[in-house]
Amino acid sequence: MNESRFKRMKDLPSTHLLGSGTPMCSGCGGLEALHEIYDILGPKTVFVNAAGCMTLLAVYPFTPFRGSWLYTAMASAPAGAQGIRDALDILIEQQRLPVEEDLEVVVLTGDGAAYGMGLSSTSGAMERDLNFLYICYDNEGYGNTGQQFSGATPHAARTATSKGPHGFAGFKKDLFSIWAAHKPSYVATVIGAEPLDLARKIEKAMQLKGPRLIIALAPCPTGWDYDPRESADIGKLAVSTGVWPLKEYVDGRVVHTKVPKQRQPVEDYLEKQGRFAHLFEPQRNEQLLQELQNSIDSYWAEIEH
Amino acid sequence: MYRIRFHGRGGQGMKTASRILGSAFFLEGFDVQDAPRYGAERRGAPIFAYVRASRQAINERGVIHHPDLVVVADDSLVPVPAAAVLQGLDAHTVTLINSHTSAADWQQRLNLAGPVLILPATEEAEDRAELPFVGTTCAAAAARLVGVISRDALAEAIRTELGALGSQLVEKNTEAALQAYDLMEPHAGTVTEGKAHSASGYARPDWIGMTVEDVDLAAPSIHAAATSVEVKTGLWRTLRPVIDYDRCSRCWWVCSTFCPDSAIAVDADGRPDIDYDHCKGCLICVAKCPPHAIEAIPEHLAQAAEETNA
Ligand SMILES: Cc1ncc(C[n+]2csc(CCOP(=O)(O)OP(=O)(O)O)c2C)c(N)n1
Ligand code: SF4
Ligand code: SF4
Ligand code: SF4
Ligand SMILES: [Mg+2]
Repeated sequence: MNESRFKRMKDLPSTHLLGSGTPMCSGCGGLEALHEIYDILGPKTVFVNAAGCMTLLAVYPFTPFRGSWLYTAMASAPAGAQGIRDALDILIEQQRLPVEEDLEVVVLTGDGAAYGMGLSSTSGAMERDLNFLYICYDNEGYGNTGQQFSGATPHAARTATSKGPHGFAGFKKDLFSIWAAHKPSYVATVIGAEPLDLARKIEKAMQLKGPRLIIALAPCPTGWDYDPRESADIGKLAVSTGVWPLKEYVDGRVVHTKVPKQRQPVEDYLEKQGRFAHLFEPQRNEQLLQELQNSIDSYWAEIEH
Repeated sequence: MYRIRFHGRGGQGMKTASRILGSAFFLEGFDVQDAPRYGAERRGAPIFAYVRASRQAINERGVIHHPDLVVVADDSLVPVPAAAVLQGLDAHTVTLINSHTSAADWQQRLNLAGPVLILPATEEAEDRAELPFVGTTCAAAAARLVGVISRDALAEAIRTELGALGSQLVEKNTEAALQAYDLMEPHAGTVTEGKAHSASGYARPDWIGMTVEDVDLAAPSIHAAATSVEVKTGLWRTLRPVIDYDRCSRCWWVCSTFCPDSAIAVDADGRPDIDYDHCKGCLICVAKCPPHAIEAIPEHLAQAAEETNA
C-alpha cells in the first residue's frame, strides 16, 4: 500500500466539496465527519442512503453533493449499492461508460440502520464481496425520529425511550467486530474530531477493493443534549477517555491507530452531555459511574498488555 | 376557546413551551390540545407549536390560523417569511415578543392592529447552556396573559414537563418562569378567548386552475452540483462568529476543517473567510481556533452594527 499523503495537519484539504445550506442541526458531528470524508473521497462517488437524519441532505431540488444519490428503504442500502455497482460494471463492460468515469459506490446510513435493521443486508453484501464503501455515522440512537435507543446506544444513556434513573439498560453492540468477523477488505472507526486519522483511513479504504466499512462516531447536540459548540471537543474526549477506540481491521489484523497515553476518566466525557446528567444529579451514581469506567478499562487492558 | 401560537427556533424549547402551557391549562380544568409543528429542518431552523384550551370539548384540529396570542421567542424570526409569525393576526391578537427592542418600535415596524407586548430578552449569554430555556419563560408569560392560570398550576406544569431533566434544571426554569409570570402581571387577562369557529361557517377556498406542464418543466432533472448553497441557513444563527485577523495565525485552517457546514473558506494565503449566508452559528470554530482568534457576538448586535456602518 502507498504511503499516506496525509502526514501532518497541513496536508488536510483546505477547500471543501460538500455544499453548505444543508438542513442538518447546527453543530452536527455527523455532518462534520461527512464533510471531512467527502473531501477525501472526491466527487466521483454515488451515495446510497437509508432513512435517517442524513436523508434530509438531498431533498429535491437541493443537494450538497456533486453527484448522484439513491434513497433506499432503511434495511436495504447495501442491496441498493449492489444494484448500482452491477449497473456500472455492465456499462463499463459494454464500453458504454469509460473506465475513468467509474464511480465509487458509497452507502451512507445512521447507526439505527447499520447496527440494527440493515445488518443483514450488509452481511449479505460482504458475503458477495461487493465492491463498495459503507459509512455509518453513529449518533447512538434513532436521531431523525427523536433519539429513541438503537443497537448503538451506550449503557446508561438517557434516550426518548430510556428515561429512568439508570438510563438505557442495554449495551452498545460491537459492530466493528461483527463486521470484521466477515473478513471484508477493510473496517475502521473514525471521528470528525480527529481529522488526520480520518483522512488516512478514508485514503486507505479508497486504495482497496471489496467491502470497506467505516463507523464514524457522530456527536449529536440534539440527541445527546449539549451546546453545539462542544461537538468537536466532546469528540476529542470520546477518544482521550477511551470511549471510542480508533482502530482498523486490515489483512486479518486489528490495529489501534491512536492509543490514548494517559486515559482521561470517562466522567470527563459523560458530564458534558445532558443524556448522562442523571449519573451526577440529584446525587452521583457512584456504582454506575464505576461500572462504565471498568468496562472501558477492561477493553484497554486487553489491548495494552 | 384560547388559541395560542409559539414561534421559535429548533432547540429553543417551543414544543416544551406548548406542553407547559397546555398542562397548566389542564390543571385549571380546561380541555387542551398542544402540538409542535416542524418540517425537515432542525435545531436553529424556524418552528412553531400551538395550544388550544377550552372549557368545552375542542372540535377544531390542525394548525391555528387565527391566534388570540402569538408568542415570538426569537425576534430575528419576525422578518423571516418561512417562519410565518404574522400569519392570521388581527385586532384581537396580542403579540408577545422576546426582544431587546421596544413595543413601540415593533408596533411601528409591523403596523399591527392588535397590541404588542415585550418580554425583555435576557442578553444572549456567551454560554448558551447557562440560559434557562427561553421556552419556559414564554410559556409562563403566556400563562399570565390569559389570566386564568395560577402561579401554582404553572409551577406544577413545569415540574411535570421538565422533571426528567433533573431537579436543578426544574428549579432554574421555575425561577425564571415565575419572574416572567410576575412581569406580565399588569397585562393579566389582556388575551381573551376568540370566537368559536363552526363548520357551517367554513368558506371553501377558491379553485385555482393548474395547467399541465411538460414533464421537463414540472419535474426538471437538475444536473448542477451542490445546489444546497441556495438555502440560506445563515438565518438560523443567534450568535455570530467573528474572526479577529490580527490574532488569526493562519494555522492549518482548523476552523475550516471542523466547521460542519463548509462555511469557512481559506484562500491561498491561508486567510479564513466566514460565509455568513450559511454559517449556522454553532461556534465550533470559536471553540477550536488555537490562538482564540474567533469571537462570538449576539447576532442582533452584529446586525445593528452593520446597519450603523452602512
Ligand atoms: C423500515 C423503517 N422503519 C422505521 C422508519 C422510520 N425512521 C426514519 S429515520 C429513523 C431513524 C434512523 O436512525 P439512524 O439510522 O440511527 O439514523 P439517524 O436518524 O440517527 O440519523 C426511523 C426509525 C423507516 N423509515 N423505515
Ligand atoms: S439530530 Fe443529531 S445527527 Fe441528526 S442532524 Fe441533528 S445533530 Fe445531526
Ligand atoms: S459557527 Fe463557525 S463552525 Fe459553526 S457554522 Fe458558523 S463558521 Fe461554521
Ligand atoms: S482556526 Fe483560528 S488561527 Fe486558524 S485559520 Fe481559523 S481563525 Fe485563523
Ligand atoms: Mg442514529
